[in-house]
Amino acid sequence: MDELIYTLKQQIIEALNLEDMTPEDIDENAALFGEGLGLDSIDALELIVLMEKNYGIKLQDPNQGKEIFKSVAVMADFISKNRTK
Amino acid sequence: MKPILITGAGVVSAIGNNKAETLEALLSGRSGVGLLKYLKTEHKEFPVGEVKLTDAEMRQRLGIADEAITTRTALMGMLALEEALHDAGLSPELLPQVGFVSGTTVGGMDMSEQFYLDFISSEAHKEYIAAHDCGSCSEMIAHHFGKFAFMTTLSTACSSAANAIILGANMIRCGEADIVVVGGSECLSKFHLNGFNSLMILDPQPSRPFDATRNGLNLGEGAAYLVLESEESAKRRGVNPQALLSGYGNACDAYHQTASSPDGEGAYRAMKEALKLAEIQPSEIDYINAHGTGTPNNDTSESQAMKRLFGEKVPPVSSTKPFTGHTTSASGSIEAVFSILALQHGFLPINLHWSQPMEDGIIPVTQPTRKELRHVLCNAFGFGGNDSSVLLSSVKVPEPVEGPTQNKGASTSSATIYILSAKQISLQQPLSEAWMDEPVHYSEPFVRSIDPSFKEYVSPIEARRMGKILKRAVATSKEALRASGLETVDAIITGTGYGCIENTELFLDALSKEGEHLLKPTYFMQSTHNTISSLVAIQTKNHGYNATYSHKSISFDSALQDAWLQLQSGKINSAMVGGHDELTETFYHILKKGGMMGKDEERCGESAVSIVLAASCHCEEEPRSHPDIQPLCKLTGFQILHQPKMDTLMDAVTKLLHSAGKTLNDVDFIFTGISGNYTNDEAYQQETQTLFGDKPLLKYKHLFGESFTSSGLGFYVAAQCLNTGRVPASLFVNPKEASDKQPKCILLYNRSDGKNVSLTLLEA
Repeated sequence: MDELIYTLKQQIIEALNLEDMTPEDIDENAALFGEGLGLDSIDALELIVLMEKNYGIKLQDPNQGKEIFKSVAVMADFISKNRTK
Repeated sequence: MKPILITGAGVVSAIGNNKAETLEALLSGRSGVGLLKYLKTEHKEFPVGEVKLTDAEMRQRLGIADEAITTRTALMGMLALEEALHDAGLSPELLPQVGFVSGTTVGGMDMSEQFYLDFISSEAHKEYIAAHDCGSCSEMIAHHFGKFAFMTTLSTACSSAANAIILGANMIRCGEADIVVVGGSECLSKFHLNGFNSLMILDPQPSRPFDATRNGLNLGEGAAYLVLESEESAKRRGVNPQALLSGYGNACDAYHQTASSPDGEGAYRAMKEALKLAEIQPSEIDYINAHGTGTPNNDTSESQAMKRLFGEKVPPVSSTKPFTGHTTSASGSIEAVFSILALQHGFLPINLHWSQPMEDGIIPVTQPTRKELRHVLCNAFGFGGNDSSVLLSSVKVPEPVEGPTQNKGASTSSATIYILSAKQISLQQPLSEAWMDEPVHYSEPFVRSIDPSFKEYVSPIEARRMGKILKRAVATSKEALRASGLETVDAIITGTGYGCIENTELFLDALSKEGEHLLKPTYFMQSTHNTISSLVAIQTKNHGYNATYSHKSISFDSALQDAWLQLQSGKINSAMVGGHDELTETFYHILKKGGMMGKDEERCGESAVSIVLAASCHCEEEPRSHPDIQPLCKLTGFQILHQPKMDTLMDAVTKLLHSAGKTLNDVDFIFTGISGNYTNDEAYQQETQTLFGDKPLLKYKHLFGESFTSSGLGFYVAAQCLNTGRVPASLFVNPKEASDKQPKCILLYNRSDGKNVSLTLLEA
């Protein structure tokens, strides 16, 4: 799981173009949206693309993302249970 | 304001190829949205509102040869313009007196997306390269009918055509024109269908605006134009108005690059301003043609805005998008024509597919209703919160009695317009005037701008969705605002030839190479031209007027003209005018292949320039600025002409100088685009010789490079010369003419694409 979390952080940094950030700067238990990293609805869409591209997980409804993208740890957990690649 | 007459209109959309077919569809409830037929895309799952003609069928109707270079947006535009001109009785010989203002965002993208890989790697289809940009699209539409006096292109995403209406109205109110044909055209493209899909806002079912179950929009396409005319002109020509344009408003939501604010601030302000300008009460509005896209976000936000403005008594509302799909840049004028038909024929267009009220939403009109209408509001909102609303009235409305306040804000008695500050990022030291003494010289044909550190202007988290062009625009704007001493400006107006070309390229590249899946919304949302202006508004929390012009080498000049008209008439007291263009390695080679870049020894660059202007408003002598701020110079004359003959140009120069109380003798220097790419310098020199005799010529493009908005840098350079009271020797076309003479009056002559000319008079 730790490896997945680290890889996921790298993928998030790349997909969201978070210049100057490293995986170490992201707390996997902190909120990605709102108070935490301060991401918004467009970032959620980018994370949906990221999950389909890298893990073969397809979300039809952007609202599903609200639960899944709570934190990197929650996201990693969801991916490990649902990945098709 | 005194209403402006609408003396003609033409429309093409999914529900008809002219006004008669459109009226029949609106009255009978016949939607044009259905299965995808004409656009070549994998996404057959989305219903769309296509114009029911192939490109070939449109060419045939218009009498255009099969082998001619055309784009679908241009062809639809021609069909609608043909009807509008005919309707208003405007024959080709009258067009040299008529202005043309069109809105589009897609431009020639339908061809670029098909041929992009050819553009990169072969010679095939290279003749479509010059048809890519928005300005070329407008010129293609207009040139099918003849020669217009003036033209420009608005590109504010889905409110483009509404803002074209607003510019045309401002021109007529300021006495700059008697007749302006305004509107917009937009075809469906794989590019924006996939873009909207990446934003997950396309409904696989027919769209249901204002319904509890609404789940997104259906895209559509089409074009529409209105003929705006002054009362005097219509009387002279003996034509009757079909409806009146009695008010309009443009405001910026300044909330988010793609989402509308929960309280609909921008929409509220736009509608409120339209009512105020028309001097009518909310209770007098009989119908609102809503923007109503069918996305959960828009309809919530727009409902809030309407409730804030109208309280408990929201007038009958409907969205006509279930008829046509969302026709994006053209929707403002298409729906204005629907509103005019409703006024003329006395009915309320219905909101198809509505069944369940949404939480806190408005209840739209669903039953066909015959009703005499006096005043109709028509909304068009765009990405980035570019919100506009136009107020159309029946010709049966008695004209308000002419009183002293009637033409408030539209008098041509000019205020003095000051340039308070000007900042640049280009090939020279950024945000600095070091070029005056130590210019940087280049030998490469294409040079990227020298960027400052952007950390001071944007946080790393904000920077995640900002390409270079956006960071440069924000940095120059924030610096210009700081240097102006103003806390805020009344308007943010931007010119850009190609917009965010880097992100456009990234999206096109992925679309062409990887196919129509898993595309990044971040690239798409930065590809619209108005991203720049609206992001500057978001970054500076500015809810004022916001517009973006994209018309070749007069993109900056068009933005300046908009500011000039509104400052002169007292509609605004200050404005931030920007000229922004970036270039990528790939697009440099594509544009060069398309014949749009010059010889190798000439410099292609990028430009970012932001200028703050302020008028000594009608009540005060000096601009509302910090007392310590000294203006750089004054703007005392401005005009754009389209393909002028030499005698027309000479008249225009004389008139421009005369209205500023000057003659050619008072002009110290002529600033030219010599060393540019789009024309040869010889032609420039011959023209300037005829126009200005032996006046010393200055140049700037050898230091600042050529881009579609380099005329903005020319403006900046001239302003700095007037401010410092000297012209650096490096700027003289003829080095022998270099002197210490203190400049007092400079005329800028921009004609770099060979078609459009702008004249700008600056004085110390």
